[in-house]
Amino acid sequence: MAEVHNWQLGRGMSYPYEAAYPKRQFAFVFNINRCIACQTCTMACKSTWTFSKGQEHMWWANVETKPYGGYPQSWDIKTLRLLEEADPDGQQWRGDADGRSAPYGQFGGKSIFEAQLPEKAAESQRVLGYLPTDEEWNSPNIWEDNAVGPKGKRDALHPTGVELPTHDTWFFYLARICNHCSYPACLAACPRKAIYKRPEDGVVLIDQKQCRGYRKCVEACPYKKSMYRGNVRVSEKCIACYPRLEGKDPERPGEPMETRCMAACIGQLRMQGLVEIEADGTWKEDRYNPLYYLVHVAKVALPLYPQFGTQPNGYYIPPRWAPRPYLRQMFGPGVDDAIERYIHPDRELLGVLQLFRRDNRIIYRYALEDGEEIYRTTYRGKQHVVYDDTVIALGRDGKELFRTTVEEPFHVRSDRHANSI
Amino acid sequence: MPYGRPDPSDPNILVGVRLPADEDGLVEMAYTFAEEFAALGHGEDRILRMFHNPRFGGPHAAYRALGEEVVRGIVAECTRVFGRNRLVVRDAEPIKNGERLGSRREE
Repeated sequence: MAEVHNWQLGRGMSYPYEAAYPKRQFAFVFNINRCIACQTCTMACKSTWTFSKGQEHMWWANVETKPYGGYPQSWDIKTLRLLEEADPDGQQWRGDADGRSAPYGQFGGKSIFEAQLPEKAAESQRVLGYLPTDEEWNSPNIWEDNAVGPKGKRDALHPTGVELPTHDTWFFYLARICNHCSYPACLAACPRKAIYKRPEDGVVLIDQKQCRGYRKCVEACPYKKSMYRGNVRVSEKCIACYPRLEGKDPERPGEPMETRCMAACIGQLRMQGLVEIEADGTWKEDRYNPLYYLVHVAKVALPLYPQFGTQPNGYYIPPRWAPRPYLRQMFGPGVDDAIERYIHPDRELLGVLQLFRRDNRIIYRYALEDGEEIYRTTYRGKQHVVYDDTVIALGRDGKELFRTTVEEPFHVRSDRHANSI
Repeated sequence: MPYGRPDPSDPNILVGVRLPADEDGLVEMAYTFAEEFAALGHGEDRILRMFHNPRFGGPHAAYRALGEEVVRGIVAECTRVFGRNRLVVRDAEPIKNGERLGSRREE
């Protein structure tokens, strides 16, 4: 085991390979507050990459209802339980935040690489994980929005779970793709060394010629985003639509494009880009890259289950209405501050949130032009000032991709053409 | 299990229906609903009616827990801050005499 620095854990961590970082890293931010689980992203991915025989159960992009559902079912509960069993009561965060190398303090527990018992740490068993059953893969979203009743009683619906006037449940929709982790568990577990991380963009891929379908990656990935294809007997996973990242999509030849799932998002909750990485694996300061701003400056976007230790590159603006203990478990200790900032956004954050899904090309930088003050009031005890600033998105070569304003009018169809689509 | 009825003996069966949010969570939920509908252009009365209506489970749960006064205050605050909509009716110019339908698309 090598020692690497995991900045999301705020400390060093054991990992089977020496650290090696890409020049840029594929990363994304999902604003859960906006997700309505329309599954357009899911179908965009499905219809692009996993429509063939043997891929019927594969959903590289999926949206699941939390806390009730998961694809595969119970993926997070099961991994959290394994970690808790390996380190009872030890999975806690502590310490204070310290810049970009420990923005959430320190994780005092064990990651999936550290929790694996030494006697099990053979070549083929280097990561704590489990292999989901076929049944768990088969039916994404099934029963997720149904209240099935108290434990142990068949057909007994929970009296307050399904009937009016009260429906005392809460939930939110969690959109997921492969996190193209900085310390991928799939890569660490593969006995064939068939999985690699591209140096140019950090995308994690499975070499289909090298893979023998041992499913160690499926077992190891805590997010369960590596999937086995039975008819060709190899594993497959999200490829981050790399032809689009490379500018090979006919939609815009030569220009780096966001993935299909991002481009399809009608809720405008997804933004994806490529962030620059320092030699030590932390994000290079790039103040006006929108992803850098959301993760390291505004700190409203947080990694999914950072305690797993893979340093995922997917970040989420947490749902403000869900109970905080659940959110802290899912996104780490930065949740309360992130929600506070999201509820009371400053001038810059309001502008950056307008960048989501105005264009399918990757935004490398943004610029703000001051606009007039629209109104000033107090909101929840704090001053609330909104300016009609203009936010300008810039592409790889620094050219303007688009510009938009904080205040946008609603465009309403006239009565004459109300239903003329 | 997935294709049949849920198996109650499955330790991971999704029975976690009742996970009551605490009061803070309900305040947050009430604000979220009120903000969203205010931003959509709904007025104070219309949003309040949603909170009163038991068929809107989420808002009504918050209403029952927080009471009329608190919810009324939240709705008033949200419509004041977020209910500032500017509606623009935009439509294509009428088809002129002799113009072929769809010809503008080719321009």
